[in-house]
Amino acid sequence: MSLEGFEVAVVGAGPAGSAAAITLAREGVQVLLVERGTFPGSKNVFGGRIYSYALKKLLGDSWKDAPVERFVRKEGITFMTSDNAFSVEFESKDAEGSFTAKRAKFDKWLAEEAEKAGASLITESRVDDLIMDGSRVRGIVAGQDKIPTDAVIACDGTTTGLARRAGLTSMLEPNQISMGVKDVIELPSEKIEERLGLEPGQGAAHVFIGACSGGLRGGGFLYTNQDSLALGMVVGGDDVSSHKTQSYSFMEKLRQHPKVQRFIKGGKTVEYDAHMIPEAGPKMLSRPYTDGMLVAGDAAGHLLNNGYTFRGVDMAIQAGVAAAQTVLEARKKKDYSANSLKTFERKLHEDPALKDMYTFHRVPAYLRNRRLYTVYPELVCSAAEAVYRVDGTGKIKISKQLRLQAKGRVSIFTIIRDLIGGARTF
Amino acid sequence: MSTEESLTLDKRLALVGFSKDAEPFIVVDTDKCNHCESKPCLYICPAEVYAWKDKLNYNTEGCMETGACLIVCHKIGAGAISWKYPSGGKGVAFKLG
Repeated sequence: MSLEGFEVAVVGAGPAGSAAAITLAREGVQVLLVERGTFPGSKNVFGGRIYSYALKKLLGDSWKDAPVERFVRKEGITFMTSDNAFSVEFESKDAEGSFTAKRAKFDKWLAEEAEKAGASLITESRVDDLIMDGSRVRGIVAGQDKIPTDAVIACDGTTTGLARRAGLTSMLEPNQISMGVKDVIELPSEKIEERLGLEPGQGAAHVFIGACSGGLRGGGFLYTNQDSLALGMVVGGDDVSSHKTQSYSFMEKLRQHPKVQRFIKGGKTVEYDAHMIPEAGPKMLSRPYTDGMLVAGDAAGHLLNNGYTFRGVDMAIQAGVAAAQTVLEARKKKDYSANSLKTFERKLHEDPALKDMYTFHRVPAYLRNRRLYTVYPELVCSAAEAVYRVDGTGKIKISKQLRLQAKGRVSIFTIIRDLIGGARTF
Repeated sequence: MSTEESLTLDKRLALVGFSKDAEPFIVVDTDKCNHCESKPCLYICPAEVYAWKDKLNYNTEGCMETGACLIVCHKIGAGAISWKYPSGGKGVAFKLG
């Protein structure tokens, strides 16, 4: 393939990159989509779920060709001590709101959609540098190839290589990252449905908070694929480092819990995955654009963990589209300066889906409160234990029991403060 | 493999596909590590690329390319790690991520 004559280079064929490439190629822009893996998705890891709306908006009816594992109909959360579990479940009537997927299939499929739209995809190509002309980005350098373009859209993931090169960020702080690890555990689909209480073909998502993270900022997750469970842990980068506990060790803590054991029993672990998650939100870059370049997806903090929903792929798609639209406007004006590209930031703030990132901007700080991972899960479990125990020794009212259980663990004032803080944050 | 039992990291890493990159993509100035008190790389890495035995040893072959070691090394540790992705098409390849 000749690497000349491209107007825009999109770096990284993940959801942000492919969405950007689709949007540009449809308008007749000559787009080069560059992926370092042997195929799109081969380097990518996530928890397991994609919210459908972004895909519907991007692809219309063709979104139905997406490689869906299961549509999620059941949401669950478990507060756990090492041997107790207090779970809440919600059954959604929305049949297609979100689905589980495997990135090696999903990202590959979305990149193929980009190719269908007219984008050129090259794989096994690592972008090492930007072609710089002062502060103006004028293309990319991939191995021996210098590829000049009018604009670059950097969707190169959490490590933010190109944004750093362009001076849009220095290195992230350890408390701005988390480490995610995951086991993919094969199980027959009937077993999955039986254990999670699902109708054939339906899926579940479950979150675990408490003992599994050993008191550190973090938690566990479980997503159902068609014939496997994606079971994983996410722990804070600062906590893991300062507590001198190996990040992967939490995987075993989670697996050994009796509740989790019942889910995975007899399963066969077939893959182990890991991924670094940026937790700082969009403020991890000073701005997501510079002369000749835009940044979208994980690389720009376009994702959201608000403690109960974990959104990466939908946000990345929306941000990729917004970046592409910004480039289309710049192309009309024939002006790719930072001043021309700054409308990207307004689009991010105005996009009904992406503005959630700004609405929940206080969440990362709130989630650093250790009590969320220690005292409160213990409190919920021990109170439940006491409430449900009937042993003839006499019962007290629930409100009194809660106060009794809190005693010595956490003051009522602290609880109230955390609740008010929570109400303001979420 | 019965997996209700605990899985060691070695067993886990044996389940991951890797294609070795001849070019060294991680380089550590291990002299600096001798003076590093916190050694955060040993804990953040999900693949135990880094190990301590009298001095820092590292083996890039099991690297899962999260890039987290670079951050903790420079922000908490001794600033000894130089890190980039492996060459195009090399390194880890996930099938079920």
